[in-house]
Amino acid sequence: MQLDMRLSRIIELAPGIREFWLCREDGGELPTYSGGSHVVLSLPLPGGIQRNPYSLLGDPADCNKWRIAVRRQEQSRGGSVWLHDSAQEGQALKVSMPANLFPMARLGRHHVLIAGGIGVTPMLSHARELARLGESFEVHYAHRAPEFGVLADELRTLAGPDLHCYVESRGETIDFSKLLARRPLGTHAYLCGPQGMVEAYHRIASEMGWPDTHVHSERFLAPPPGAPFTVRLAKTGKAIEVRREQSMLEAIESSGVQPPFLCRGGACGQCEMEVLDCDSSLLHNDLFLSQADRDSGRKIMPCVSRVTGGCITVNL
Amino acid sequence: MTAAPSIKSQPVYHAIDWDQTGVEHLLFIAADDPATLDRLLANRPPGGLTLVVAAAEAAERLGVAGVTARMVIEQNATSALHALESLLQQATMGLRLYLVGPEDAIWQAAAVATRYGMSSAEIRLYQTGTKARPVFCVHCRAMTRGVRTNLADCSGCGRTLFVRDHFSRRLGAYMGFQIDAEIPGEKPPVETVYP
Repeated sequence: MQLDMRLSRIIELAPGIREFWLCREDGGELPTYSGGSHVVLSLPLPGGIQRNPYSLLGDPADCNKWRIAVRRQEQSRGGSVWLHDSAQEGQALKVSMPANLFPMARLGRHHVLIAGGIGVTPMLSHARELARLGESFEVHYAHRAPEFGVLADELRTLAGPDLHCYVESRGETIDFSKLLARRPLGTHAYLCGPQGMVEAYHRIASEMGWPDTHVHSERFLAPPPGAPFTVRLAKTGKAIEVRREQSMLEAIESSGVQPPFLCRGGACGQCEMEVLDCDSSLLHNDLFLSQADRDSGRKIMPCVSRVTGGCITVNL
Repeated sequence: MTAAPSIKSQPVYHAIDWDQTGVEHLLFIAADDPATLDRLLANRPPGGLTLVVAAAEAAERLGVAGVTARMVIEQNATSALHALESLLQQATMGLRLYLVGPEDAIWQAAAVATRYGMSSAEIRLYQTGTKARPVFCVHCRAMTRGVRTNLADCSGCGRTLFVRDHFSRRLGAYMGFQIDAEIPGEKPPVETVYP
């Protein structure tokens, strides 16, 4: 289900980082959501609709607006650039209902929230919810330079002295082996940040004996552009061209077919498709499929993955 | 290997072994099962090891074996659960908990661990010793412990309860309901089925 919304406010937070407020076109109330939720924006780019997920950073109980923050990604498919260069206040957009692939562990006894750069957005909604519930938590926020510590003031009102900032330009970094050491039983850690940070965090937590059930992370992958190819839908025989900067899922959607999706970032598994035939190679970019699934050559996540060219036939 | 239970909620216990992903290990033993204990201790995992022993016989054997580990010896399950709780209060992430003994004791210990935020990924359970069941009365919610028979009098309301295989991990008990609710007095013969 998609809501008809508009951009009611645009705030420049830092060079290349903008905050957007989304309101319902009809002025009606929005549903509440849980900390860590995201929505998918349908962006009307010149080449067609691009659907990008963004974490909600506002107060989950605010029924009047949803807030997101977007970093301009030059080396990307144009969605964030469009939001920075073309989007104006008042712009109408279709927005999905919130989904949560990064929920808080309700039985946790202490919560350590860790943000790298624009990965601060889901931590804001988590911090709000934890503060409201009176739970024990702390926030660690790493960013490039002082001016990129966007939303740190808002985090400070929620976490007080338990907000710790690490400014890269001053040589400050998060040392996971210290951060995760001697934590009481029942501590849960949450991280949203760049790939290298996520990988170091998981590796060190695992070396320190943290079970996967207590080590949470979220990483939205943008579908990388690649060579154009054709996707054929076996059930209708429809053949669809996937352009260089388009994802396979977006191309299928633009032909009028609406496959299910949730995260659009290769994490949730909702849009998984069965590969019936492929005359080139599959390029898997998702975080969902197991190595065995990849090796089988029978499955693909069309939100972020594509093929090297030629034609792929999916069971759709 | 026993056959899979007919009711999904009934726990199935696999042979217990150390979880090599842990950096600290706490073994809670509430039964005298020398074979299991010897097997575990012969192959100790890296990292610290603490034993909480809730069975006097097992404690004696351990004393003879001269195990080098932090050792807490208690004479009964209740005091052992208190000892476990104070250890978990001090424990840090990276700990793995191993619960060995009758279902009543190990699931009470699991409930303590859950209160301290441990997940099932950090806890391994192994049933050994008596098969006697803790029974939760669905009528008055009282717990009747050490039930070895198919029928048992509820310690709370006195109804004669039929002991089902339906198990609650949260309560650590089997469900018991009145056997003669429809035709008072009509009861099957009492048999010992949980030795």
